[in-house]
Amino acid sequence: MTDWTGVLSLDLEERKGKTVAKNVYFQGALKVMRPIYHDNSGQVCYYLLNPGGGYLDGDRYKMEISANEGAMVTLTTQSATKVYKTPKSLAYQETTISLKKGSYLEYLPDPLIAYENARYKQKNVIHMENGASFLYTDILTPGWSPSGGKFSYDTVQLVTEIYLDGNLGMFDHIKLTPNNQNLSGLGFMEGYTHLGSMVAVSEKTDNALLDELYETIQMEDADFKIGISRLAIPGFSIRILANSTQLIERIFNNCHKIISEKWTNHTPSSLRKY
Amino acid sequence: MTSKILSLFQLCDSNFPTGAFSHSFGLESYIQEDKVHDQESFFEWLKVYLHEQLIYSDGLACRLAYEALIEEDLQKVWKLDRLLTVQNLPRETREGTQMIGKRMLQLTNTLYEMPVLSLYKEEIKNKNSFGHPAIVFSMVAHGLEVSKSEAIQYYLYSAISSQVQNAVRAIPLGQTAGQTISHKFIPEITSAVDHIMQLTEEDFGIVSPGIELSQMNHERVNIRIFMS
Repeated sequence: MTDWTGVLSLDLEERKGKTVAKNVYFQGALKVMRPIYHDNSGQVCYYLLNPGGGYLDGDRYKMEISANEGAMVTLTTQSATKVYKTPKSLAYQETTISLKKGSYLEYLPDPLIAYENARYKQKNVIHMENGASFLYTDILTPGWSPSGGKFSYDTVQLVTEIYLDGNLGMFDHIKLTPNNQNLSGLGFMEGYTHLGSMVAVSEKTDNALLDELYETIQMEDADFKIGISRLAIPGFSIRILANSTQLIERIFNNCHKIISEKWTNHTPSSLRKY
Repeated sequence: MTSKILSLFQLCDSNFPTGAFSHSFGLESYIQEDKVHDQESFFEWLKVYLHEQLIYSDGLACRLAYEALIEEDLQKVWKLDRLLTVQNLPRETREGTQMIGKRMLQLTNTLYEMPVLSLYKEEIKNKNSFGHPAIVFSMVAHGLEVSKSEAIQYYLYSAISSQVQNAVRAIPLGQTAGQTISHKFIPEITSAVDHIMQLTEEDFGIVSPGIELSQMNHERVNIRIFMS
């Protein structure tokens, strides 16, 4: 018995230079497609999908993912996460990721689109051993409403906690409630419509990497704002305010390539969506 | 007014050398971009800074730390110290706050015989804690038996007042304009305290994306008068 709408668990390990699943389990409205190896690096890529096509009133999703020593993993989604109106109770997604030392996991989901009157809460909890590396991005769109109005959702709340060797090392809490906040205004979205966040944790982080990322991002010739800063633990976070998903994706793809090459000696393939 | 409240006022005074006045917490980025350029635009910025960032971090932490001190739950206090530090993603504001916290602790530990202050120092020395002014302030307020809501109120007043002084120097604004802002801002502080009393722990650490981004951005500002 469970009150989850969809459950997914995925345990990964390295076998002879190739990352494979030790355990794959899913039930309800969460599914993972067959593993894909984009090249001969041994890094595995899993596409997560929601067969229901979107999150509905009161939906609850739970994902548990682990990577053993040496496992190299890409997790992404097949398409944007859509949250429809939630008149009774919010849609909720909880993800727990556990990384052993020497593993690398990147979780790069498609953007979140919250429809009119939608309430959504997401909680990501990452447990890392020292020596593991983790990369995460998310993109918040202004949502969707039949009238074309922006920010017509009720609440979008994203909580991310990263523990390093058992100690909380990073805590991020975004909660946007357009009815109570002047979302497009000063201090919030500063006139932009899309918010992108990236967080990366690895003992391989250094200032040279941040400078390189910053310079690469500055070469982008479009209207956006960006902040990049080191965390209290070895790692950094990036925030981007922009007016389109495509721009944030392009910036993140460029950053992803640099980070992946530096940290894993591996040039990532583009994450083709089927 | 009791002498206890006067004692707490000493911590809010701009002469209290914690280094708080060297930090603009992202305000300087807004001034350089000309988004904050006069009394009105600064007032708007200050409202967002207080109601959308400060209450969910320092403000709520003040309250929770005070409550934990009543319960004698020091583990909870150390947990709040860590949360406050690691939720502060922009490096300059995080490290700046930590410096202010440590200096405030150093000073208050000299002024008061409060065992909890020495314990906090020990935690920091052992690298289990980081040091944060909201925690130190709550410890002193609790030790002086100043009420919880008054403690939060004075803490916020002190944070806001130092930002007003920063704005007077950096925008720049006249001294009278600065005092007018401080005066007009008092109802905002009162309503922020009411709001904090109604929050839950689940609300901790909510950030305002633009303010946070400007705090990160300050690292890349070349000409600066503030450390954050």
